[in-house]
Amino acid sequence: MTARRLIVEPRGLASIQLTLLIPLLAVFAALIVGGVFLALTGDNPFSVYRHMVDTAFGSSRGLSETLISATPLILTGLAAAVAFKMLVWNIGAEGQFLLGAIFSSGMAIAMGDGAPAVVVVPVVVIAGGIGGALWASISAIPRVYLGVNEIITTLMLNFIALNLMNYLIFGSSSPWRDPAVSTFPSGRPIPDSGRLPEFFNRLDIGFIIAAVLALVAWFLIGKTRWGFEVQVVGDSPDTARYAGIGVPRKILGVFLLSGLFAGLAGGLYVAGPVGALDPRSLDLGLGFTGIIVAALARLNPVAVIPVGILMGALNNSGPSLQSIGVPPEIVIMLQGAILIFAVGGEFFIANRLRRPEKAPAGVAGLEAA
Amino acid sequence: MNDTQLVLTIFAAMSLGTPLIFATVGEIITERAGILNLGVQGIMLVGAVSGFWATFETGSLILGVVVAMIAGAVFSLIHAFASITLRVSQIVSGLALTLFGTGLASFLGKAGSDPLVGEPARETFDPMLTSGIADWPVIGPLVFGHDIMVYVAWVVAGAASYYVFHTRMGLSLRAVGEDPASAESAGVNVAWVRYAHVMAGGALAGLGGAYFSLALVPTWQDDPIGAAGWIAIALVILASWRPWRAVFAAYLFGAATRIQFTLQTLGEPWSDIPSTILAMLPFVLAIVAMLALTSGKRARLLGAPAALAIPYFREQR
Repeated sequence: MTARRLIVEPRGLASIQLTLLIPLLAVFAALIVGGVFLALTGDNPFSVYRHMVDTAFGSSRGLSETLISATPLILTGLAAAVAFKMLVWNIGAEGQFLLGAIFSSGMAIAMGDGAPAVVVVPVVVIAGGIGGALWASISAIPRVYLGVNEIITTLMLNFIALNLMNYLIFGSSSPWRDPAVSTFPSGRPIPDSGRLPEFFNRLDIGFIIAAVLALVAWFLIGKTRWGFEVQVVGDSPDTARYAGIGVPRKILGVFLLSGLFAGLAGGLYVAGPVGALDPRSLDLGLGFTGIIVAALARLNPVAVIPVGILMGALNNSGPSLQSIGVPPEIVIMLQGAILIFAVGGEFFIANRLRRPEKAPAGVAGLEAA
Repeated sequence: MNDTQLVLTIFAAMSLGTPLIFATVGEIITERAGILNLGVQGIMLVGAVSGFWATFETGSLILGVVVAMIAGAVFSLIHAFASITLRVSQIVSGLALTLFGTGLASFLGKAGSDPLVGEPARETFDPMLTSGIADWPVIGPLVFGHDIMVYVAWVVAGAASYYVFHTRMGLSLRAVGEDPASAESAGVNVAWVRYAHVMAGGALAGLGGAYFSLALVPTWQDDPIGAAGWIAIALVILASWRPWRAVFAAYLFGAATRIQFTLQTLGEPWSDIPSTILAMLPFVLAIVAMLALTSGKRARLLGAPAALAIPYFREQR
């Protein structure tokens, strides 16, 4: 039996072509799976996909909306990429995103229209990043100093953050809630001086900030001493310890950086397209989608930009599917399938498969044993 | 006496805890084999929609449960293949399952010309006894007044405990989760054991999902299970990887979920506490339990399988 099996062997360093091809194949495979389900439920997959591409890229308005959707995903993608690279399993980008949104909108409302936008906007955006990092620290500190697994604490904090936002809007008359609307609770609009300037249809400078931060993250991880030490810790904490690298502080730093990115995503989203702490516009699973972005980008911060745009295109095209009678949830399904195939594809990037050569009987015998 | 808030709350906590027992026992069995499955939430949703659909089409609760379990097992096969055969990151693979399952369940509930969404369940799990001993004070409703699945959950938890700790197969299971290389040398087929228990765990998660759509929330809606799948993963630690303890852990979380409704009925000042704050309670409880139980070296003492979430390379033996 062993003789007929394919042999799996580690590949060492995979070629650039392969590391580009496998993620593309993952997307393609997910489209096939989605297509099968569409066909089974009575829709023509080709016309559905055509409709999605047209919505996302077919017009200048569509393109700007796609980039608006991509902005938070680039940042939550970075949040996952920097953390996962170091085996810090921050699954809490969702909650850190919401805290970023709460901090940014709160700061913008507190500052009001008194100061010029040049002053207010940076403060508002940075407040979001701090909110995300603080929320991450609730999981990061027990992880680093007490060894408490961060997967469950970051996850649970997502739901606490969601309920906190709901409390601020639905459960109390907080400063975040719009006092002008009494019929249905909604977020108080952010003053104009706290809003990000727009430059292409509704697209604001948040997209540029996100793209620049991706490049900064790439530089930080790939080109600095700190980034090098972080990579050593990620590859082997023992080696890092022998090399005299302070492992706990590195893990803490990466964890907080991850929370910072997720918080910035939330901050830019409320100060940009949403303009208020609006639960209906913010509870979209953008933190979880960031994990898909990071995985498909193979944790490369620069690759996070195009992959974020791809996922943004999917998110942007979803709601329009209702007009042709297709549930928008096909988008979540496609994204989940993309992640399944992307993570499966890692196997083919890490390993090479080959047919066993005709080996002398003695060797084959050893293998069978 | 049986309609006092205390009795009603405990009764509801047991109902709400029942799907958590199924999912938690399933995840315990999976983790005992050394595989962490973060796909529970997605598997439960797939179980919820497929069980609902099967009962909707056939009018049979048993078929609904069976279909949900098969769907859960088959769906979890994706995670088994990725983590056991391909040996990719179990964490990312499990999350992928959850995201895919969430989208799939929601899509299936809305797709087609005659969508399920908004439809009431054709049959539901109802209390087995409504009079006689079920009327006895306190123990009547709490012990005899439930639907059959509440008792099935007890049996499942008890049987799983017996299986894990008192059978030969259970011994192999624990060996695989502790030290797969030694288990392999002792003649245990590690891959087979892992596949079997990931799928068994998936079947139980599917069953837990179906209990939501056929008992607790018997009208198909987009998100019938809340965060139950995520809670189940946290409950594994609270139950310290022992299936029978999952019953108590699950009922405690059922109570934490229920408390917001109970406080509403108690009047002021209790009803003044915002429900959004009370809704945080199960999640805060999970974090407190994590901190209390797993700080320092406690997670190992608690019973965490040593090889949990570590890919096993047979060739490197």
